[in-house]
Amino acid sequence: MNNIQKEALLKKRYNAEKRFKLYGILSIFLAISFLFILIFNIFSKGSSAFLKTEILLNVNFDQKKLGLNNNSSEKEIREASFDEILKDALLALAPSAPELKQAELIDIVSIDAELEIKKFFLNNRDVLNKSYEVSLTLSDDLDQVYKGNFPRDIPEDRRRFSDFQLKIYDELISKNKIVSKLNWSFLTNADSREPELAGVASSLVGSFFTLFVCLLLSFPLGILAAIYLEEFAPKNKITEIIEVNVNNLAAVPSIVFGLLGLGVFLNYFYLPRSTPLVGGMVLALMTLPRIIIPCRAALKAVPPSIREGALALGASKVQTVMHNVVPLAMPGTLSGTIIGLSQALGETAPLLLIGMVAFINVVPSTPLDPSAVLPVQVYLWSESAERGFVEKTSATIIILIFFLIIMNSFAIYLRNKFEKKWS
Amino acid sequence: MNNDKIKISTRNLNVYYGAKQALFNINLDLMEKKVTALIGPSGCGKSTFIRCLNRMNDVIDICKVDGSIKVDGSEINEKNVDVNKIRERIGMVFQKPNPFPKSIYDNIAYGPRIHGLAESQNVLDEIVENSLKKAALWEEVKDRLNQPGTSLSGGQQQRLCIARAISINPEVILMDEPCSALDPIATAKIEELIDELKKSYTIVIVTHSMSQAARVSQNTGFFHLGKLMEFNLTEKIFKNPDNKMTQDYITGRFG
Repeated sequence: MNNIQKEALLKKRYNAEKRFKLYGILSIFLAISFLFILIFNIFSKGSSAFLKTEILLNVNFDQKKLGLNNNSSEKEIREASFDEILKDALLALAPSAPELKQAELIDIVSIDAELEIKKFFLNNRDVLNKSYEVSLTLSDDLDQVYKGNFPRDIPEDRRRFSDFQLKIYDELISKNKIVSKLNWSFLTNADSREPELAGVASSLVGSFFTLFVCLLLSFPLGILAAIYLEEFAPKNKITEIIEVNVNNLAAVPSIVFGLLGLGVFLNYFYLPRSTPLVGGMVLALMTLPRIIIPCRAALKAVPPSIREGALALGASKVQTVMHNVVPLAMPGTLSGTIIGLSQALGETAPLLLIGMVAFINVVPSTPLDPSAVLPVQVYLWSESAERGFVEKTSATIIILIFFLIIMNSFAIYLRNKFEKKWS
Repeated sequence: MNNDKIKISTRNLNVYYGAKQALFNINLDLMEKKVTALIGPSGCGKSTFIRCLNRMNDVIDICKVDGSIKVDGSEINEKNVDVNKIRERIGMVFQKPNPFPKSIYDNIAYGPRIHGLAESQNVLDEIVENSLKKAALWEEVKDRLNQPGTSLSGGQQQRLCIARAISINPEVILMDEPCSALDPIATAKIEELIDELKKSYTIVIVTHSMSQAARVSQNTGFFHLGKLMEFNLTEKIFKNPDNKMTQDYITGRFG
C-alpha cells in the first residue's frame, strides 16, 4: 500500500466517523422533536383547563322567594331552594325575551350555579334582601367559546349554543361581566357529567390509594424475594427456572394481570370491585418483577469483598447481608422501585378489567371505596363528546406527567446521592 | 524449630475445587505470636491455605476441605464447629482493602457490636480508639470518625481493615497479600504495624514480595503447585534453603 492509498483509506475512515456522528445527532434530534410535539400538543390543549370562566351576575336575595329570615339555621338554608332567585337574575339579563328563549337564558350558567349561590349566601348572611354581584360558573359551551376552543362562525344548528345565547354572552363581555379565574375546582372536584364541573380529585386520590397498596405489597415481597434469590438460594435448576420466570413475568402484557385480578381477586375471593385495594393488588403483581430484577442487579453489583469482610469478622450470613450488602444495594433498588411504581401509575389496561373504569363522582375516602385512577380518567374523558372534556383530558395528562416526572427525578436523586456517598 | 508454642497445626490437609485438587497433604505448624510468611508463585495455593484456617472456603460451594486443622489443639475443620466462633478468634485482612459502607467508627464498632463485646457506649468508644491506635491510624482519623471509611486513602483503608480485624480481639490474624494494592510508603507502614502486632497476635501473611517475607516473618513456607515444598525459619529459607526449587524461586529464577 503506497502513501496515496493510505491517505485515501484515512479519509474514508474519517468520513465514516463523520457519517456515524451525523446519524446519531439526527436520531436524537428526531426523538427530541417528537417529544416536543407531544408536550406542546398536550400543553396547548390542556393548559386552558386550569382556567375557568365565570359570569358576574346580579342576584337579588329576596327574603320571600327564599323563604328565609335573618335567624334561619344553616340546615334551613341548605334545604332552601335558590333556583327562583337565580332564574330571576338570569332573566333580568334580557327582560324582554320571549318565553321560548327563557330556557336558553337559564342554560348560560352551569347547573351547579344554584349551589354556588347557596354557598355564597352561607358565607355572607348579611346580603339577605339585598342585591349582590355573585360570580357563577359559566356553562361549558360558552366557557369553550371564551377560551377560543369553539368556533362561533359555524351555523347555529351545528353548535351547542344558540345565536340568542351568543348575543347575551357578547353583551356580558362588553360589560366586563365575564371573567377568567384559576380553576381550583379542577383539582378539588370529583368527576362529573358536566365538563365545567368535572375534576380529577377522585382519580387523583384513587391513584394515590392504588399506588400505596401496590407499594405496600410489592416492595417488601420484591425485596425479600430478590435478597433470598441472590444471597441465600442455592444455585441449582430450580432457582434457575425461577430466575427465568421472574424475567418472563416482567414481559407479560399488563392486561393479563388484569384478567388474573378479575378471575382470582374478584370472582374467587369476592374482593370489592372497582376499588384501589384490588387495583393495587393487580399492579403489585405487575410491579413485583420490576422490583426484583433491579434489586438483584444492585445486589449483584455489591463487591464480594464486602461480604467476605463481614463473614471474616464472624458475622452470620443474615447479618452480612442485612448490615453490609443491602445498604449498598438500596439506591439501585429504590430507584428501580420508583420507576416500577411510575409505570404502575400510568397503567390503564389491567384496571379496566377489574372495574376501575366506572363513573365515580365522589372522592374515595378509603382504598375500599370505588374509585378511578388518573390514566383511566384520561381514557374516560377522551371518549366523551363534549368539547369541555377535550381540554380536561389533556390537563389530566399534564397532571399525570407531572407526577411521573417528580417520581423519576426522585429516583435519579436517590441514585446520585447514595452513589456519591459510598464510592 | 524451637520451643515456641504451636497455635495452629494442619495435618494431611487436602482441598478440592470440584474435581481439581488445589492443596496436597499440607502439614504445617504455625507458632504463637510469630509471623509466618507464605510465599510461592501465583496459583500455588497459599491463599487457599489461609482461607482454610478461618473456614472462609465454606463460602465457595464447590470447595471441599479434607484433613485436620487444629487451633490450640482442638479440631475446627468439622461440620459441627461454629464457623462464626472460629472467625471471631481468627481474623482476616484481604488483598484489597474492603471497608464497609459505613463510617470509620462503625467500621471498627461493627465486630464488637455483633459479638456483643461492648456493654456500653463508653466501652465501645474505647475499643474503637484502641483498635485504631494499634493499627497506627488513630492520629490520622480521630477528628473524622464519622466520615465514610471509603473516604480514606488505600493505605489508610487497609490499616482500617486491620483495626477492624483487631477490634474483636482475635488470637490469629490472617493476611492475604495485604500490601499488593498499596504503594511502597503505605506498604512500609503496614510492615511496621505487623512487627508491632506480632507481640499480641499470631500472624500469617501471604505475600508475593520476597523482601517483605524476609523483613516481617520469623517462619516462611514455600508453596508450589499446591504442595508445601519447604517450611522453616525465614533466615534459613532465604540464606540456605534445603529445597532446590525454593532456592530457584527466591532468587527469581521462576515464578
